[in-house]
Amino acid sequence: MYIKAAAAISPQVSFEQILQSPASYNSNRLNCAEPDYTKLFDARIIRRMSRIIKMGVATAKDCLHQADVQSPGAIITGTAYGCLADTELFLSKMVENKEELLTPTAFIQSTHNTVGAQIALMLKCHNYNNTFVHRGFSFESAMLDAITLLHENAVEDVLVGGVDEITDTSHTLLSRFGLYKQHAFSNLDLYNNHSKGTIAGEGAGFFLLSKKTTGNSYAKLDDMATLYKPSSPGEVAGFVNDFLHRNNIRAGDIGLLVSGENGDAANDKWYADMKKTLFNDTATQAFKHFCGEYPTAPAFALWLAANIMKTGKIPAHKKIKAPGKILIYNHYLTIHHSLYLLSAC
Amino acid sequence: MEKLMADLKRQIIEQLNLKDLKPEDIGDDQPLFVEGLGLDSIDALELIVLLQQEYKIKLASAEEGQSVFRSVRTMAQYITEHQPKTV
Repeated sequence: MYIKAAAAISPQVSFEQILQSPASYNSNRLNCAEPDYTKLFDARIIRRMSRIIKMGVATAKDCLHQADVQSPGAIITGTAYGCLADTELFLSKMVENKEELLTPTAFIQSTHNTVGAQIALMLKCHNYNNTFVHRGFSFESAMLDAITLLHENAVEDVLVGGVDEITDTSHTLLSRFGLYKQHAFSNLDLYNNHSKGTIAGEGAGFFLLSKKTTGNSYAKLDDMATLYKPSSPGEVAGFVNDFLHRNNIRAGDIGLLVSGENGDAANDKWYADMKKTLFNDTATQAFKHFCGEYPTAPAFALWLAANIMKTGKIPAHKKIKAPGKILIYNHYLTIHHSLYLLSAC
Repeated sequence: MEKLMADLKRQIIEQLNLKDLKPEDIGDDQPLFVEGLGLDSIDALELIVLLQQEYKIKLASAEEGQSVFRSVRTMAQYITEHQPKTV
């Protein structure tokens, strides 16, 4: 199946910006570079939308516009945290007003499936609509559902995406778990200091998947796989090997490995061990210094890989030729591991 | 009454997040729903909350809302008639 269109809102303005000069932040969180939504939507339509909903709907709209699709066969969304800002607003009002006088908008907009629902409302699309909330496998579950629908010929095309946002409260709470570096940090120096913690990120990525290509597709999506809670990096190497084997390729056939190192020493050991075992001589492109760490970050990685495949330009390796095959490997907190295999089309 | 209507216009814009409107854009007798400001049923619930929060007035029935929320003027009249008297 093919990635006919790919769109993202991330801390980077565009793929071109990443190629030329990636946005630099001095913080332990990377917030999205958002467009002027008033130029994309009627003010009446977006007045009830929180930031994550606007990010998701704008990304989906861009993706559909690229593919020239008015109404996709299915809309599938993955999100780990859902619409946090409206959830916080609703819960705060509940406490402040002693469980009375609750405004309906924040409640309605706080559910995890609001992004997918708003896309459907905007398109007046009554087709299959589902949202997956599975921590570090939220985007992967959405992708798996999309691939299954296409394999079963249930639909012609699927709009599938991953969205997550950072709020001040979520950043404070997750910081207490030791997820993030304790001080401001340059995202472009993320891999030069292997201290504890990473930088928080957020973003929206949407893709139009189709069984057919029209000639201007970004890439062919050959396969994807997930591995839950492996006991050791050695188990991951076996998982990757099996994945390559079932696609009838060897590690040497991978032209570029897009991998999810996030600057946390304990976290990155898993990537280092896997690369040492299988991809010692393979060109690598990291991506968390562009988007930060969050559960649906693989949506950003897929968008980046699709753009690399389409343009033949690799941010970290400006002088090497376009890869024929790209493998994305990511894990979230060493628990949720995923692989995506892309080919040129 | 004039001050109350001016306050209401500001509160409606804030509560319903009507960022593209200014208080002077809302006419005293302009219909709030459908052909007027274009508000919908969710906005009606927000206005009920607004009345309770700002003016301590609870609508007796949902049907009452249709006449109360017809315009800013009808809202102001209802508030004037029903606001609890402070001692």
